[in-house]
Amino acid sequence: MTLDHAACLYGGTDDFLTVAVPFLRAGLEREEVVVAVAEEPNLGALRDVLGPDGGTVAFIDSAGFYRHPIHTLRDYQAIAKESAPRRVCALAEPVWSGWTERQTLEWIRYESLINVVFADTDAQAMCMYDTGRLPEDILFAARRTHPGLVREGANNAYVDPEVFAAGCDRRLTFDRPGHAEYTAIESADLHRLRAFVAGRAERHGLGRQAARNLVTAVNEAAANALRHGAPPVGLWTWRDGDTLVCEVGDHGYWRAGPLTGFVPPASALHRGFGLWTVRLLVDLVELRSGWDGTFVRMHVHR
Amino acid sequence: MGFPNPGGGVGWTGPAPTPDGHSMDAPWFAKRPVSDVRPGDHGWLAYAGAEERDRVIGTFVREGLRHNEKVVYVTDAPADGLPGLDRPLDGHRIDVGAYTRIGQLRVISRADACLDRRGAFEPAMLADTLGRELGGAFAEGFRAVRLTTDHSWALSGPGRADLAQMLGCEHRVGDTVAPSTMAMAICQVDRRTCSGAELLALRDTHEVLIEVDPEFDDGVLRIVRTFEPHGLRLEGELDGARHTVLAERLAAVNRAGRRVHLDVARLRFIDLGGLNLLAQHALALPADEALVLDHLAPDVENVIEMVGWRRLPGLVRGAGAAGGTEDLGR
Repeated sequence: MTLDHAACLYGGTDDFLTVAVPFLRAGLEREEVVVAVAEEPNLGALRDVLGPDGGTVAFIDSAGFYRHPIHTLRDYQAIAKESAPRRVCALAEPVWSGWTERQTLEWIRYESLINVVFADTDAQAMCMYDTGRLPEDILFAARRTHPGLVREGANNAYVDPEVFAAGCDRRLTFDRPGHAEYTAIESADLHRLRAFVAGRAERHGLGRQAARNLVTAVNEAAANALRHGAPPVGLWTWRDGDTLVCEVGDHGYWRAGPLTGFVPPASALHRGFGLWTVRLLVDLVELRSGWDGTFVRMHVHR
Repeated sequence: MGFPNPGGGVGWTGPAPTPDGHSMDAPWFAKRPVSDVRPGDHGWLAYAGAEERDRVIGTFVREGLRHNEKVVYVTDAPADGLPGLDRPLDGHRIDVGAYTRIGQLRVISRADACLDRRGAFEPAMLADTLGRELGGAFAEGFRAVRLTTDHSWALSGPGRADLAQMLGCEHRVGDTVAPSTMAMAICQVDRRTCSGAELLALRDTHEVLIEVDPEFDDGVLRIVRTFEPHGLRLEGELDGARHTVLAERLAAVNRAGRRVHLDVARLRFIDLGGLNLLAQHALALPADEALVLDHLAPDVENVIEMVGWRRLPGLVRGAGAAGGTEDLGR
């Protein structure tokens, strides 16, 4: 079983259909589970062209499917698991507009992670990149994150996902503003810490669910630092525009691999369940280990 | 000028009873661990079996004996077989004869306490019996009187008292206990002997629902044994500082060899280690068994839905307020 993960660089809806329609038809002929995730107007055009043949295709609007890269990986994986033993044939068109530069980096990382998360499946995924609309750096990244390139033959630009993720991490900066508020975490009883985070979340204007999720995430990072890290353990919180940032740090040195917490664990009993769930619970998680300790930074947008 | 009455009006915001599948949520009831019973309480215990009864009533009896209070037990059972008397109290065997001689333990037969001369149930008699015991208690040197009786016999078998008589009896007992600064009563019924409607009607004549003392309560997490369904009720917040105690209690209820339900209606927070703990517990169960989570609160359910039930093998959703759920218990 090997994953077939290819990028297709196309120009405009007509060209999109030229590639996408035969791809989906072939999947239907092989009696696979066929999924088409695309942006409008491409999605509607696909429906029209496939007509009754598309009856068993799951058409999904990218706008709803690509909101949070860790969630999207989870959801694709759920599709694959639920389809087993049938093979999945997926046409995928991620959303590249409306993100900050930082968010865009995570979506590029996501494309690379697909190769890891679905490595032991025989799924076939073709990701659509519109050369007419997308900036050069995103098209360049597509070549680095997809082992295959439709219509272009060999792809020499592909980068191993672990190397690629490490490269993404090298682009991160970890400034912490001077006005960040520090709270020491000394007791294994995190009740007061949760109340503190809930209070900051409320003050920042987070919705109830987002606030509860942040509390769960910070609690996990703190429990982890207390268990595996070295004292002192503490929490910094600050606001950055619409974003509330909570960073749990300890004085230990955790050499986390660049894929840590990105790959969905099989169950809560598997290694990595905690950090993966933390990544689900907040908008963005950044890890850093250095001479001054290990830090888990969690961002939530208002 | 009086104090503002916190119980007045419709805005009372005290804790609603946990949905337990039997009591309809009625906000005017207080649910109270047996050790928190206080004078003026006319309490109700509809037990699911001998274990629940013995744990509640045993504690009620023992605390009375320990605290220089008079214990009045209306029953035809022999005194030394009553709940709570079979185990040492503060390291000493309970000398039933001695407690009886000094009048601290009063075991009164049904005939003497609530039957008329022809052996028929007399609704007024139990309250009179209580009043009599109460009247003497202060002079006898006891600071309070605890009364308990099991009504199951009156509600089942031949010569069954009708519901109206029982309700009349309960109202009178309530009228005696409620204004008293010395009297506490727990009326017991084996819930298997009555219909649901009868249970509700009887319960409604009591102000306080009595339950077992919590297994654990540190002000953040509270763990309470449940008997029907078999399992634990978790209230508050579960985090790493409280994993060990929950694991111990889970292991203990699991030894009964029955499917374990966790009532998590009032569990406001569960950490990810807590989910791992539950999954580990479920993993140790036989292949066809499951750990049932009843009445999931939205905050906990949200975390579970986020990671997916698939990642919590052996955990199943049980009875719940949310629609489309099924009760997998029993």
